[in-house]
Parts: sequence; C-alpha cells; structure tokens
Amino acid sequence: MSIIRNNAEHQFAEELEEIIKQDTNEVPANWSMSPQAVVTYLMGEKLKNGFEVTPKYIGDRRLMEIAVATLTTDRALLLYGIPGTGKSWVSEHIAAAVSGDSTLLIQGTAGTSEEAIRYGWNYAKLLADGPSKDAIVETPMIRGMKTGKCVRIEELTRMSADVQDTLITVLSEKMLPVPELDIQYQAVRGFNVIATANNRDKGVNELSSALKRRFNTVILPTPKTAEEEINIVKTRVSSLAKNLELPVQIPAVTEIARIVKIFRELRHGVTEDGKTKVKSPTGTMSTAEVISVVNSGLALAAHFGSGELKANDIASGLIGAIVKDPVQDEVIWREYLETVVKTREDFRDIYRACKEQ
Amino acid sequence: MPIHILGIRHHGVGSAKMVRKRLEELKPDMILIEGPPELDEVLPFIGVSGLQPPVSIMIYNEKDSSKSTFYPYASFSPEWVAAAFANQHKIPVRSMDLPANVSLATVFRQDQKPILEEKLKEEDVPEPTIEELVSSETEKEDDVNEEKAMQIIHSDPMSHLAQLAGYKNSEVWWDYMFESNGQTDSPEEHFEAVMMAMAALREENISSSLDVQNIYREAYMRQIIRTAQLELYDNIVVICGAWHGPALIDTEGSAKGDAKLIKSLPKVRTKLKASWIPWTNDRLSMYSGYGAGISSPGWYEHLWAHDEDIPIKWLTKVATLFREQGQDMSTAHVLEAYKLSVSLCQLRGKSHVTLAELNEATLTVMCMGDAILLELIKKELIVGDAIGQVPDDIPKVPLQQDFEKTVKSLRLRLSAAPKDQVLDLRKENELKRSVFFHRLQMLEIAWARPKSSRTKGTFKETWMLKWDPSIMISIIDKAYLGNTVHLACLSKVDQLCANSKKITEVSALLGKALPAELKECIDKLLGRIDELSTISIDVQDLMTALPKLITISRYGDVRKSDLTILNKVVDRLLTKVFIGLPNACYGLDEENSEQVFMLISDLQNAIKINDNKEVTESWLDAIAKVLDKKGVHDIILGCTCRLLLDAERLDYEEATQTISLALSTANKPQNVASWIEGFLKGSGMILIYDNRLWNLIYDWVNSLDQEIFMDLLPYLRRAFSRFEHGERRQIGTKAKKGKTSEVQVLESEENSEGWNEEAAVDIFETLGMLMG
Repeated sequence: MSIIRNNAEHQFAEELEEIIKQDTNEVPANWSMSPQAVVTYLMGEKLKNGFEVTPKYIGDRRLMEIAVATLTTDRALLLYGIPGTGKSWVSEHIAAAVSGDSTLLIQGTAGTSEEAIRYGWNYAKLLADGPSKDAIVETPMIRGMKTGKCVRIEELTRMSADVQDTLITVLSEKMLPVPELDIQYQAVRGFNVIATANNRDKGVNELSSALKRRFNTVILPTPKTAEEEINIVKTRVSSLAKNLELPVQIPAVTEIARIVKIFRELRHGVTEDGKTKVKSPTGTMSTAEVISVVNSGLALAAHFGSGELKANDIASGLIGAIVKDPVQDEVIWREYLETVVKTREDFRDIYRACKEQ
Repeated sequence: MPIHILGIRHHGVGSAKMVRKRLEELKPDMILIEGPPELDEVLPFIGVSGLQPPVSIMIYNEKDSSKSTFYPYASFSPEWVAAAFANQHKIPVRSMDLPANVSLATVFRQDQKPILEEKLKEEDVPEPTIEELVSSETEKEDDVNEEKAMQIIHSDPMSHLAQLAGYKNSEVWWDYMFESNGQTDSPEEHFEAVMMAMAALREENISSSLDVQNIYREAYMRQIIRTAQLELYDNIVVICGAWHGPALIDTEGSAKGDAKLIKSLPKVRTKLKASWIPWTNDRLSMYSGYGAGISSPGWYEHLWAHDEDIPIKWLTKVATLFREQGQDMSTAHVLEAYKLSVSLCQLRGKSHVTLAELNEATLTVMCMGDAILLELIKKELIVGDAIGQVPDDIPKVPLQQDFEKTVKSLRLRLSAAPKDQVLDLRKENELKRSVFFHRLQMLEIAWARPKSSRTKGTFKETWMLKWDPSIMISIIDKAYLGNTVHLACLSKVDQLCANSKKITEVSALLGKALPAELKECIDKLLGRIDELSTISIDVQDLMTALPKLITISRYGDVRKSDLTILNKVVDRLLTKVFIGLPNACYGLDEENSEQVFMLISDLQNAIKINDNKEVTESWLDAIAKVLDKKGVHDIILGCTCRLLLDAERLDYEEATQTISLALSTANKPQNVASWIEGFLKGSGMILIYDNRLWNLIYDWVNSLDQEIFMDLLPYLRRAFSRFEHGERRQIGTKAKKGKTSEVQVLESEENSEGWNEEAAVDIFETLGMLMG
C-alpha cells in the first residue's frame, strides 16, 4: 500500500545521498553531512557532478545559513513567524538533512503533557516489575538524545508554559534526569532541538525568558516578491499533485500568478501598482493557503471538472481561504472583488466565477 | 632613490594599519599623500594639535564659497595615519594630486581637451567632474554626487576582479582581501600584493568614466614625486589610492609627456583656501551622499582601536548598548552570539568573522530575530555618533570665525545644557544679542530658539539657547553664503526674496529681516512686495500679508528702523484691498467664505492697531459695499454688519432692519445660522450687553419650528462653541430670564407682558441643548 505523504528523508533520498557523496567539508559528530551541504540541500544547487538539487526553501539564503549554523552551537533553533511561511517545512528538511531522520517529532498542543516531552511509564510493567528502565516509555526527545539526532517540536507556544519549561533542563544541561530510578539520559553529540512557533495566533503561551535564552530565533518572513511566491507555490503544488496522483495538468504559471496576486494584495492592503488601498481580511493570507487553494482547485478540476484548472475550480477555495470571518471578511472580499478584480480585463473569469458562488 | 608606493583604500582600516607598520619599517624622509596641493598648509596640524577626528579639510574660495570641497578624515584613514606619523617624526609631508582649483573648474571629457566649466556652460550642461574624494554640500551637488556614485559602480574596474573572485561587489572583495586582519603579517608583502593586483587590472584596460581625469591626475602626481626627488629626498613614501599605484612607479620615462599634459590643462587663477572643520561619523558614511563614503564608520573605528578579539569586544559593546536601553542581556548572550558568528563564518568558508556575521548573530541571539533592535545598533554603533573637534588656534572658515567672534563679543557661551535668555531690547548689548539671534534664525542655525515672553510689551524677548556640536557643521554648511553672519543673512534673504512669488512669503521674510537688522535688504524686499502687488490679483494673498506688514510698521519705533517706505507700501496695498474686497467676496463657497471671514477679522484688528482715521474710514466704506452686494456668503455679511455696527456706521434703526431682514423666516435656516456665526464673530459679549440685539435673536430662535431647530442645532452650536465658557454660562442665565431685561424699561413694557410661560419653557430646554 502506498502512503499518502513520504517523509522528507524518503522523498528526497536520492538528493541526500548524492549530496553526502559529494560533500568534502568537515562533518560535525553524528551529523549525516556538513553544515555547508545542509544549506546546499535547503537552497538547491547544481552539484559538481551535474546533479541538480531542488530548492526546498525559496527565499533568503542568509536565513538558512543562520539556522544551520545555530544547530552547530549548543543553542536550539526556534523558527518563528506567521502561519504558512514554511516553518514546519523548513524544520522537517533541516532535520532530514542533519540527522537523516525527521520523525522525532513532538506536537505542541494545549493538551501536551510533560510526559510527551520527558518520559512516560508503561503501567503494566510498572505494576508487574516495579520501576525499572524497561518500564519507561521513551519519548522522541529521549530517543534523539540517545542517538544524537535533531528533535522537532511543532507549535512550541501552544503548549502550556509549565510544559514548555520542562525543556529548560534538556536544552541547558543536555540531560534528562529520571528521579524515580536515580538515573539520567545524557544527550549524545549531534542532538539538538528545532522548534517552530507562530506569532499570529490566539491562545498561544509566550515563552518564558529562561527558555527564550536557550533558543536562537530565526524569523521566516512572507515572500518578498511575487516571483518568489509564485515559485514556491509552483514547486509545492507540483510535488503534491504528484503525491496525490491527480490526473490533471499542472497549472500554468499565469494561473498561479493570478491567485498569488490576489493573496498578496489582500495581505499587504494595497494593490500591486500601489494605487488602490484595499482592506486586509482577518486571516493570515499566507503562502501555505495559496498552495491549498491551488491544490483543492486541482482536485476539483480532476474529479468534477475538465481536468484543467479553471476559474470555477479555484473560486470556492479562494473564497474559503479569504473569508474566515463571515461578517467582516465577507464585506472586505466583496469590496475587493467589485473594486479591484472587476476592473481587470484578465481577471474576468475569476470575477464571474466568484460572483456565482 | 627608492620610492615606496603604498596603495590604499580611502578610509580603509586594514590599509591604515599596514601603512603605520610600513612607515615604521621604512623610516622615510618624505611622505606624499594623495590630495590636492592646497591641503599642504593644513596638513601639519594632523596628529600634533588638538584636532580630533572625524574632521575634514574644507577647500573653499574666499570670494565665492559656493564651490567648496571637503576632504574628510577619520582616525583610521590611512592618509591621516601617515600625516600624523610624519608630523610626529618631523618628516615633511605634502599632498600630491591635481590642484583643486583646476579640478573644480575643469570639465574632463572623453574625446576632448579639458576645458573650463564656465566656457562650457553656454553650450550645454557639463558632465559632473569626477573626484573620488570630493563631496560637495549643496543639495544640487548632492544629486550630482549620486550620479557620480552610480557611475563609479558601473565603471569601477575593481569590480571586475571582485566578480572573478565571486564577490558581490568590489567593496566586499577589497575588504576581505586587503582590509581585514590576518591575510598577511608583513606590510611589505601586503603592499606588493596590492600593487600586483592593480597592475594586472590596469593591463586589462577596462575603461572607466574616471579615465580621462585620471590621466591628468596621475601626470600631476608623478610631477610632484619628481619635484621631491629633485630636492634630493631619497626615501620617499607615496600614499595613494591603490588604483593609481602602478602608474606612479615610472617617474623618469614619463617626464616629458607629463609636462605636456599638464601644460594642456586650462589655466585657473582662483586662489583657494583650506581649513579644518569638525565632521561627524554620519557624514563619513555613504548615506549622506559622500562619494568615497563607507557604510560603517563606527565598525571601522572599532577595528582600528583593537587588534585582537575584535568580535567579542564588538558583541560586548552591543550588549552594553542594549543594557543601557533597558534590554536584558546576559554574558551568555554575548557568548552564544559569538559562537554563532564563528559557526556562520565557518559555514561560509571565511577565515574571519565580519560585521555581517556579527549582525546576524546579534539579530538571532540577542534580538529574538526582530530587526527593529538592530536598527539601534546600526545608528549607535555601526555608524556611530562621534563628532570631531577643531581647536581654536587652527585656521577656520571665515563664517565660523565671525560666528565665534560675535559670540565672544556678546559675552555668550556655547553650552549643551538648555538655557533661557531674557533680553530687554532697550539695553544696547541685549538688543545686539537679539539681532544676532534673529540673524541665526534667518540662517536656520538652530542654536537660539525664540520662546514666547510672558510680558506683553514689545521690548522683551525670550530665547532658549542649546548648543550641539553639529550646529557648527550647519554653520560651516552656510559658509558659501558669505564670510560674516551678516553677509550670509543678506545673501540668504536675497535668495529667498528672488524665489518667492507670493506677497505673504515676502512679508513674512520682511518680518524676519527687520529684527535681524538687515537694513540693506529691506528696500529690496519692499520693492519686491510692491512689484508683486502690482502683478497680483489675489486679494486674499494681499489680505493675508497685510496684518503682518501693519504690525511691522508699528514695531519700527522699538527697533529704530526707518520704515517710511514700508508705510507707503502698506497704504498702497490697503487701497488695493479696499477696491478689490467687495468683488473678492462674491460667489465664494462656504470654505472660502470662512477664510475670507477670518481675513476680514484679522485685517480689522490690524487696522485698529494702525489707528489712522483716514484708513479706517475707507476700510469701513469698503465693507459697507460688501453689505450691499448680492451673492456674498452670509457669514461674510454677518461679519461686515457687525463691523459696521461696532464702528457706528449703521445707526440702530438700520442695524435692526438689516438684522431682522437677515433673520427673517423666509431665509434658509442654514444661511441664517452662518450669518449669526459671522455676526457674533466668536464673542458672545454683544449678546449679553446689547438687549435689543438679544431680543432679535431670541425672537428668531423662538420662531423656529421644533424640526427646523433640530436641523439648525449643529450650525448654531458651531457658532456658539467659539465663545468662552463664562460667556456661554452668562448667555444661558440670560436665556433663562427670557426675552427682556432693561430693554423693557427703556422701550416698551408690553413686550414683557406678552411673554408666555409655556414658550419660555420650550426655549429653556432648547437653549439648554444649545449650550451643551
């Protein structure tokens, strides 16, 4: 049976292998490749032997360099930014490149408990044999520490503050004591933590300053230019379409460009020519949402449409992504539709399709 | 006779360090520094007197200082280091380059012989003369500088090498190759390497817009080296921009050709002078449009001041700054930032940490990724706020000299702490001070700022004095205007006067010129007002200007200036206004009408001050005409009616008639409301004291429908809202009493009998609403 989505290290296994083969720089202990090679993997490049590495992160190379360099120090990495700027995506690929394993993952939610970070007990064993090492349920954190790999924490700020703070010992002492057994797990070289957090959400818990001090923060921005954003959407959409085996043509760049334009204008509150002010909706209008609009459009086109992405297929997804608050956003969207989209010759079909919805 | 050529980059720290080491090794008997020979007279001050960099040499023409050139130096400028070395070891130091008087006045073009700029002017716009070190200060020339910078980027041959080596521009490449520590320990090797690189580059024959000028410059440089050789100095060190290095080696073979080239230069007779002025880091940086500017003077200073552990010391500085700003910054932060910067540097394959890595580490570790805090670092540390100092005994720019002399003679002190000065203009010395302050105001030199005096008399002025070293630079900026504060003011007024097209502007200028005692230009200003008033058909502009002019003509007595001409001009302008006013009021919309209403009120006050019977009469005649005119907005009508009533131009009967006509119910309520606004003119006193008027309005309000009244309420509120609180309260009290008070005794008793309790209650309520 085929799985829906492969891990980064499987999906790009060939690239990783090739890069490791070509890597001539010094490799830190327990890393699978040198920091330079990790950056190459992230940013994409033609290797010396002509092998083409696809870019995983499209944007400022400097940011990736800082992120990777951070992991070579004993500080942990915090990827920060508004939703949909590719934080989890980057974290997965960094983990895949650095440790060859992106599966050591702890998902932060309001319900995440300390046991999810430290360790849990196998109660059957605990009752049968009493406390012993065997009765401990190891978390991804412990496994990462034991094997010297990168551990990912998603949505760090969604965990409650006291759970967050259990990380302090791990990050500063690089060990995790088990007082019940009077033992401790000590981290092997190569271990580090990559956390992601977003700053535009409700119900997040600010990091304590003690914890902040253990992280180097890299803020991932929204794409600087429309070209950059179109490029991101195109790459992601084609890889996803391949994954889902949608019997549909990958949309032309012009189609993506139109959607990106709508999103960028609403996000920045001004039309691209800088002439008209528009209101911004309550949602984040991130690149990730552009990707999902195009994807759902593709699915519609494949199963219920002509097999080619048309304005009709996009419209419902578009409205769903923009109108998050049924009252406020509806007004904003109508205004935008009537004042901006309507006036554009080449947006006519989108206008009509959205009107019909 | 060896000559040692040390190729440097201007303001390059690494170059400076190497120059210092190399000079110690070579122990030369003559040092030549790139720069026009005009610098020679001020170079001996470097390093031995109290000069504190950043400072700059200013080369200027005493007669026409609009064309001045600046040669800024920081403590880490190689030229500065070399000259300081020379002066400390008593070695002669000279500058070598094309004389500034030639390069300033000459245009170099690709295909032609250099010619004087003046000759060119008639034909077409001259291309900017290109001078790496030149930074001109006037705004117009700043643009030229930008162009220059652009051209240099496009045509910089060094970017060729940089691109070959894979750097994004020549600055970064040069920085990395030659400026940073640790490439080589031997200065000899360093300068050899520079020379070789440049020689190879010159052989490529990459053309640059600087080429033509460089041919002449280098010829002149060689000429100066030859002169030194002829004077039998036998250990000459030449310090010049790296690019020129290879061209200066062969001095013998080129002698003849050089002589010919130099001869072909146009003859310039202007004599230029040089002097030291304080400079700032901000001006050293390229953001201020300085051609050879550097992006990070503060960082360079740091590099210059320290030889080892540069990144750690820098990060400590950064942390200290953050702490001063109230940010928590621990030693661990510094440590982690340092580690990250080293990691980054390894990742990028660099041999040493540069500012880029340090900034990124600061951003990531100390600022939580937030770039706003980094701006602070940029302003405070990377650029820095150092201001240079020039001691008193060094020749200065004439304007600065005059300024300092005047300050001394007026017994004033330049102090950074703000201090108030209360001047009594009846005392001679204090009057002089006031004149001086007014002149500084005119020149926009922000040392003394006027504050409003507590007393109402015109003989007192209060000024707030606050000195800041950058003010000196703004004084020097104005040097081109004239050699004394007085002369500079005059030419400033001239400039402004010629450029202004409105009487309002000129009269405002006149208002400033009088207390500054710029008597010489007053005729000119008045002439300009006269001229403009003849052309101008804009009565509103005249009316705006007049109150000010009238006030000025009243001030003449305190200031002892002769203002008979002004009075004449004022009279003429008044006449123009009187004639034009009725028509100017015709057909205006609400907004403009309100403006005219304000203007009329202001002018009325001014005319009152003027206190000239004849003028007042004709003024009243003029507004009486407005009253008769149709198509004039009600606010103006109301206002004129009131003015005429006040002046007893309308007798009581007429006034009552006009008022009740204006208030009659057939008129649109809005019009009536604005009429009332104009009539009351922001003061309710008349309502309180004049009972007949009170009754008229009272009746009118009473006659309004509830509905119409509600519609009108906003307008009325607006009219009443300008009254003072006390007035409003009194009116309220009066309204409670109803329609009459003394009037009933004076006029007719029936009025009071006929008043109706119910209606009155209504009125109280509504008036209550009116008063808010």
